[in-house]
Amino acid sequence: MLPGLRRIGLATAIITAGLSLVTTAAADSLRIPVLVPITGFLSLEGTSQKNGAELALDGSDVAFDVADTATSPEVAVNAFERAMNAKDVVSVVAPMLGTQMLALIPLADEFDVPMITVSGTARITELGSPNVFRFFPGDVVVKAAHARYAVEELGAKKPAIISQTTAYGQSGRAELDRNLRALGQPPVFTEGLEVSVKDMLPVLSKVRDSGADVLLLHLHSGPTALVIRQARAMGLDIPIVAGSAMHQPETAALLESAELLGGCAESGWSPISETGPEFRAFADAYRKSFNREPDAFALGQYDGVNMVLAAIRGGARDAAGVRSWLESNRYDGLAMTYASDGKGNMAHSAVILCYIGADRVPQIVKRYRNVTGVL
Amino acid sequence: MTGMHLGRDRVTLIAGGVALAVYATLFASSYDQRILTLSGVYVIMVLGYQFIFGHSGALSLAQGAFFGVGAYVTGIVGSQFGTGFLITFPLSIALATLLAAIVAAPVLRLASHYFALATLALNQLLLVIAVNWESVTGGANGIPGVPPVILFDWQVGRGLPLLVFVWALAAAAMLIAHWQLRPSRVSSFTVMRETPLAAPAFGIEPGLLRFRAFLFSAAFGGAAGALFVHTNRVVSPETLGFGIMVTCLTMTVVGGRFRIAGAVIGALLLTHLPEWFRGLDEYYLVAVGFLLLAMVVFAPNGLAPLFLRAGEPSRLSKTIAGDIEPPAKSTAGLVIEGLSKRYGGVRALDGASLQVEPGEIVGLIGPNGAGKTTLANLVTGIERGDAGHVERASANLSVLSATAIARSGIARTFQTSQLPDELTVRQVVSTAAVNLGSTAPADKVVNGALALCKLSDDADTHCGTLPHGVRRRVEIARAIAGDPGVLVLDEPAAGLADEEQRQVADICRALAHAGTAILLIDHNLEFLRTSVTRLACMDAGRIIMEGPFDTVLADPAVRAAYFGMADQ
Amino acid sequence: MFAAQLALNALALGSAYALVAIGFVLVLNATTAVNFAHGESVVAGGFAAVAIAGLLPAGIPGIVLLPGVLVVTALLGLIIAGVAYLPIRSRPPVSVFVTTIAFGIIVTNGLNAVFGAAPRTAPALVGSGAVEFLGVTVSLQSLAIIATAALLIGALAFVLQRTQLGRQFRACSQDPEMARALGIRLVRITLLGFALGTAFAGAAGLLLAHQFFVSPSDGGILILKAYIAVVIGGWGSLRGASVGALLIAVFEVGVASVSSQPVAEAMLYIAVLLVLFVRPEGVFGEPQRVRA
Repeated sequence: MLPGLRRIGLATAIITAGLSLVTTAAADSLRIPVLVPITGFLSLEGTSQKNGAELALDGSDVAFDVADTATSPEVAVNAFERAMNAKDVVSVVAPMLGTQMLALIPLADEFDVPMITVSGTARITELGSPNVFRFFPGDVVVKAAHARYAVEELGAKKPAIISQTTAYGQSGRAELDRNLRALGQPPVFTEGLEVSVKDMLPVLSKVRDSGADVLLLHLHSGPTALVIRQARAMGLDIPIVAGSAMHQPETAALLESAELLGGCAESGWSPISETGPEFRAFADAYRKSFNREPDAFALGQYDGVNMVLAAIRGGARDAAGVRSWLESNRYDGLAMTYASDGKGNMAHSAVILCYIGADRVPQIVKRYRNVTGVL
Repeated sequence: MTGMHLGRDRVTLIAGGVALAVYATLFASSYDQRILTLSGVYVIMVLGYQFIFGHSGALSLAQGAFFGVGAYVTGIVGSQFGTGFLITFPLSIALATLLAAIVAAPVLRLASHYFALATLALNQLLLVIAVNWESVTGGANGIPGVPPVILFDWQVGRGLPLLVFVWALAAAAMLIAHWQLRPSRVSSFTVMRETPLAAPAFGIEPGLLRFRAFLFSAAFGGAAGALFVHTNRVVSPETLGFGIMVTCLTMTVVGGRFRIAGAVIGALLLTHLPEWFRGLDEYYLVAVGFLLLAMVVFAPNGLAPLFLRAGEPSRLSKTIAGDIEPPAKSTAGLVIEGLSKRYGGVRALDGASLQVEPGEIVGLIGPNGAGKTTLANLVTGIERGDAGHVERASANLSVLSATAIARSGIARTFQTSQLPDELTVRQVVSTAAVNLGSTAPADKVVNGALALCKLSDDADTHCGTLPHGVRRRVEIARAIAGDPGVLVLDEPAAGLADEEQRQVADICRALAHAGTAILLIDHNLEFLRTSVTRLACMDAGRIIMEGPFDTVLADPAVRAAYFGMADQ
Repeated sequence: MFAAQLALNALALGSAYALVAIGFVLVLNATTAVNFAHGESVVAGGFAAVAIAGLLPAGIPGIVLLPGVLVVTALLGLIIAGVAYLPIRSRPPVSVFVTTIAFGIIVTNGLNAVFGAAPRTAPALVGSGAVEFLGVTVSLQSLAIIATAALLIGALAFVLQRTQLGRQFRACSQDPEMARALGIRLVRITLLGFALGTAFAGAAGLLLAHQFFVSPSDGGILILKAYIAVVIGGWGSLRGASVGALLIAVFEVGVASVSSQPVAEAMLYIAVLLVLFVRPEGVFGEPQRVRA
């Protein structure tokens, strides 16, 4: 009996000690955990988020560490709870993926910590949480610009939509559809595609048969390039206005210059297209640090984190302080001026980019400023 | 020996449980508690998966489907109608189980990878629906605002309360699994899994056993899915994704497919593993992959057997010394009338008729391909005949299932050995005794059968390590464990040495003396001469001659058919 | 005309999938092991093409990369065999599921960490243009995919039917016990199966990587397709695997063109269930016979 008990005690101690290894140590300085997808199908965008946040945080006295949220709500919540183990968390850089945001919102409210994200999913700012701050024009903004450009500038009478059956795709498609209807030109064709779809000929043939005069895409990077390439190859020569994935340098790199030519895309902004010296400095610093071209998600996250840093400089010492600063201040970021609409939407402008020259850098052809009239 | 191991296992299990409880309540941060809570959810899922994947040995890829159904039922009903846990949880379990019951009929009859693909297709179909039926499922975004668990007026808060609640349910799941997987049923599963062909002949109904396992896996999966969405507060298509299924499979293999402790170890380890390596940034999953690989290479049967050494504990394995009771007999002979069977263009049986009276040993000889084994298969219901019938005590057996025929008192052995390697002799024999519903106390019957077949010394040896000669006797011991009135032995003496043949012949005579009707298929004439009371010879699917041993052998037709073939 | 165009695209996609499925069956036949890292092998082939092309002058045709890709992925196959199969070959087959799943996790996340998550494109096999043929616009890449796949499958058939090694390989897949008795070294056949099977996956990676790009997380969906093709065709049948692969492509291209992609996907799974309902042993599978 006694040896048995002693063994139980010993084993208990060993197992307990082993499990306790997980617990992390806390630091003294203020802290902004970066919780973004750096593995899985959204890691291209997530890595941009991470880089933008890192660029802003490097050199500040705010501590940060990066944790992967992968592609499921489960892992995002794990990463969030882990980050909350540390003391002095003043805000969290939160993932692009709408589903993950939906899972994190109740937790952020419970921990009472503001989340800085570039997720476009319309829903996340409609749940009444005071802790969501979106530093990228949401679908409400960019899809309005997207639809208006198609209808007002390209004269679309019969627009067609191809979207992705992901959280990103379905949210954007709903907004596009709503905006097109509001403009009096409801889509003549709509289809959702899995991310893994390879051959785009079937869907493009249906677009052609529908008699569409403008094709609007709301797809991730690879599928966007696939559709554009196959549309060109099959001689479908209607204008194509793609979603913000198109502006990413990685997407353009998949296509040959001839295929790119004439293609347009919506985005919040495009750091590589801007010519101002401060944009150049940002792009140069970004390339130097990460050996990549910056995209809009990186810039949005950069501006968002910088606004939090501005709040700290402005005297905010804790999460509540940061939140109220973000709620009540305007901030002139690199890309635009940010201010909350009361729901946490901070960005209210969008641009339309087109690949006009022979280079792979899109040019800004139309700016839609203050689309929702908040500023 | 077994007793010592059990004691030690108990120490290990208690220590593990206590350590977990101490850690969860005293040391764990809210984040640690969350990971532990998730582990608890996966424990339930894996316990369910062990039923179908472990014990049934069927590669189901639908565990994620049941998990997802449970998740969506709780997610949709909970968030849209504000229905509480006490309704949504049972509903999640019920609908997942219902889905399993509906698809079971067409799917469970499929073999190995065809079953796997069918279950995979089911899961993928549900995933497509979940993603595209946006008005109901919320599409790819899923549905936020799933309520927390509320029991009557008590809201189970995040952190420790939820952790305790989930693990309480996991403990309940363990108890259910423990109750369902009593030793005799585990042995039945083993027999079904390892020797599927032979299982029905020993009273095991593979269909029923597999069906039950499938329903349990679904119920546990549904329960886990429901708890999963309460834990994450959002339901999304990831719950139906292939990733969850792969996680569940991995946990089961890493922990161990058969032990309840294996489910706990697998779930705990696989939920914690990525968290331990997070410091490696984008390389952390690479590290997880390496560790996973290493673990399975070093412990291919799972980690549970490393900690817990005892074999399957068996109530029946306690030896009751000297308490031997020979099987009692229900006496009625076997009547075979005009049995026919075709395989494509080949006539395997062509109107074979034969009778075996109680107490009689009828030898059956014939060239290879004469139809002897087909006859045995038709008599015992392993295959269905095209025409003719089999009767015993004026009951028509041809319409019964193999299991029912076995239970009615017709037992057999197989030409190729059908013993599961990992069971002991006693487990094999007692599994048959229990499943065949023997009227006498199982222990006495088992001991009687073992003693009669001179196996008492080998009773606790695993079948996989037995020499061929002993295995043949184990098969006979198993066949008589159900106290049969008719015994069909398919080449019991093949490959045996003289001494071993004599032992088999002795057993046969003892059984016949006690009133058993025995049909003895063999080629070995010396063996048959010492055993049989009558001899029959088959050729081309018919009985061409029957009568006293020497008369049959002297018959010209028999000589032509049998020795003609043998001379070639 | 347009139907012809669709048929050609389906054939091209189906040919690439067929290479994946055949590679899966080669491993299966050599070992009876299910290699869940097979999808990642396709991805590795695509990235091998991207990496090798990066070392060569720009504008080089992709077909030149084929030998390099085959060698790299054959080596990968040997590693999979050595690490994830041989150490546990006498253990329950389910442990191989998990070791290969683990290997796949390593490959996916290794590629993600090294190459980044962005989709990449490999050079076109012969050129990126199109030719007019009987009024049908035929992309050169599609033709090249079909031709390359046909060539590889033809070469495989020759090796299996006509060479000593091929005969040994087939003997092993039919009856390993007998093969061992005849003095065939099973480990050698195992290594051959993994090298050949993974090289086929790698070739498919090269064929797919130009037109359809390649990114590290593509493996999961590819193994799913290979598995469906192999089972529906008949477990272990090379011919069945090719037919199964074509069937999937027909759904992805043909059925999707008259309905929608999600509907086509759902119909594929329903079709799979129906086929199994009617033919529980797959299209070219052998019905199991009771032999007690």
